[in-house]
Amino acid sequence: MPLYLPIAELSMNIFLVIGMGAVVGFLSGMFGVGGGFLMTPLLIFAGVPPAVAVATESNEITAASVSGVLAHWRRQGVDVKMGIVLIVGGAIGSFFGAQVFTYLRSLGQVDLMISLAYVVFLGSVGGLMFWESMRAILRQRRGYVPPRKPREERHKAWIHALPFKMRFRKSRLYISALLPLAIGFLVGVLAAIMGVGGGFVMVPAMIYILGMPTNVVVGTSLFQIIFVTALTTIFHSVNTQTVDIFLAVLLLFGAVVGAQVGARMGLKLKAEQLRALLALMVLLVCVKMGLGLVVQPDELYSVADVEEIGGSH
Amino acid sequence: MMRFLGLILFAAAVLTAPAQALVTDLSNKRIEIRYSFDGAELILFGAVGTTPIDIRREDYDVVIVVRGPESPAVVRRKGKAGVIWVNQDQMLFPHAPGYYAVAASRSLSEIANSIAFASYGIGFQNLPLVADSGKGLMMPDPEFRDALFRLRSSEGLYRQEQDQVTIINQGLFRTDVHLPANVPVGEFVVETFIFQHGSMRSRNRITLNVDKEGFERAAYNFAHGFPLLYGLTAVLVALTAGWLAGVLGKK
Repeated sequence: MPLYLPIAELSMNIFLVIGMGAVVGFLSGMFGVGGGFLMTPLLIFAGVPPAVAVATESNEITAASVSGVLAHWRRQGVDVKMGIVLIVGGAIGSFFGAQVFTYLRSLGQVDLMISLAYVVFLGSVGGLMFWESMRAILRQRRGYVPPRKPREERHKAWIHALPFKMRFRKSRLYISALLPLAIGFLVGVLAAIMGVGGGFVMVPAMIYILGMPTNVVVGTSLFQIIFVTALTTIFHSVNTQTVDIFLAVLLLFGAVVGAQVGARMGLKLKAEQLRALLALMVLLVCVKMGLGLVVQPDELYSVADVEEIGGSH
Repeated sequence: MMRFLGLILFAAAVLTAPAQALVTDLSNKRIEIRYSFDGAELILFGAVGTTPIDIRREDYDVVIVVRGPESPAVVRRKGKAGVIWVNQDQMLFPHAPGYYAVAASRSLSEIANSIAFASYGIGFQNLPLVADSGKGLMMPDPEFRDALFRLRSSEGLYRQEQDQVTIINQGLFRTDVHLPANVPVGEFVVETFIFQHGSMRSRNRITLNVDKEGFERAAYNFAHGFPLLYGLTAVLVALTAGWLAGVLGKK
């Protein structure tokens, strides 16, 4: 059944759209990730213009994160103060990212930037995650338990030397506000240019750089993602008019159903195995994007309406 | 059936009308893009009537050109920079037709010579396309021009030597007009040319409108007219949908 999307200005099969949402929802439910890094490339492969895919996906992630954060909120798993600092950083990052996005779009280089960002970030995060999870799996087989680091040694010395210290009670931390601001900023930029929530960067950063306790990490990152993707949606709406609400709602519908099934599947697997699988998937998307950059394309030329690009006329 | 009946009534009206050289009409002159829009198929029919020189006595050829609204289009060419392929050169066509289709009763080369077609601007190669280099207008690089034609042809937006005009009987002809789902909105011009012995004998033009309608139109206008409000609405929709999903998912 074809459905005409008025903002994307193309006709897509409604079941294909819901199906894509369901598959990504299933995977994100299973691995406990947002799924933006899978959905945006999938939309692009399905023929949605990259700019529309990125902007629309921000809108869908807002919705997905709201439904995700509710459960963490009930469990007291959200550090609101830390979240707000991350949001401030994220807002600045998202604004900056959206400006870069609009500028590169007028130059015709936005597709390149999206691909490069995917290759770099998915490659490094996926590689690290894969390495870490494989090590954990091997260690477990050998029966080795790493000694716990004492609390005081969780942070590197330079982190304690930073100014503007703040107390985050829920995370039981007393650290410089500059750190969460910087992490938030990076996540905001990624949200604007890649159409992701940024959880795959933020969660490791919260654990390994900030040293937050794991029970508040996911809830707080979802809390930040709601606000930052909401802002990103608004920035893209104003700058490039590429947010398609209908596409977002259809994807969400599929994703919600898929996530329920995926979450149940995820319970049956061990955490290290899940992480290793997720890492493999991340690397797969990275390689697919990377090949698109390196392999000579069949068609060297491309055409775009100038009106769509915004700006020059 | 209704279309066929309409065709007969139309033909009867035209053929009895004197001094009417050429009349054409479309099965639908107003295309509405709605939620289920997946392209449109139109029938164009026309009749050659009586004129001082009655062209019905001899065989004739029909060439029909459908041209969509013009808009600026940019064609980019990828080149290799280091190990990756990036867009390097680009050429802006300020007046590229958003849709362009040529249908003919025979292959164009059999109907007339290329000079005749060039003088009427029939055929993509004869369109007066200019390029904007940033320092003024100039003749486009033929490679970019060909790329524009090739890319839009693959999207179904440019069609040449693909559609047949069927001559039903001596005075009556018809053709199908195929509009793809990604057709641009605006006013389309449908020009019909009658050729005989390699020269143009008669021509006429009618228009066709393609527009987003109802909800689709409202959504598009809202997004482009009030982008901030649209963005806020998108966020509100997402928050509500996400909250609903979270509450329902708990059960």
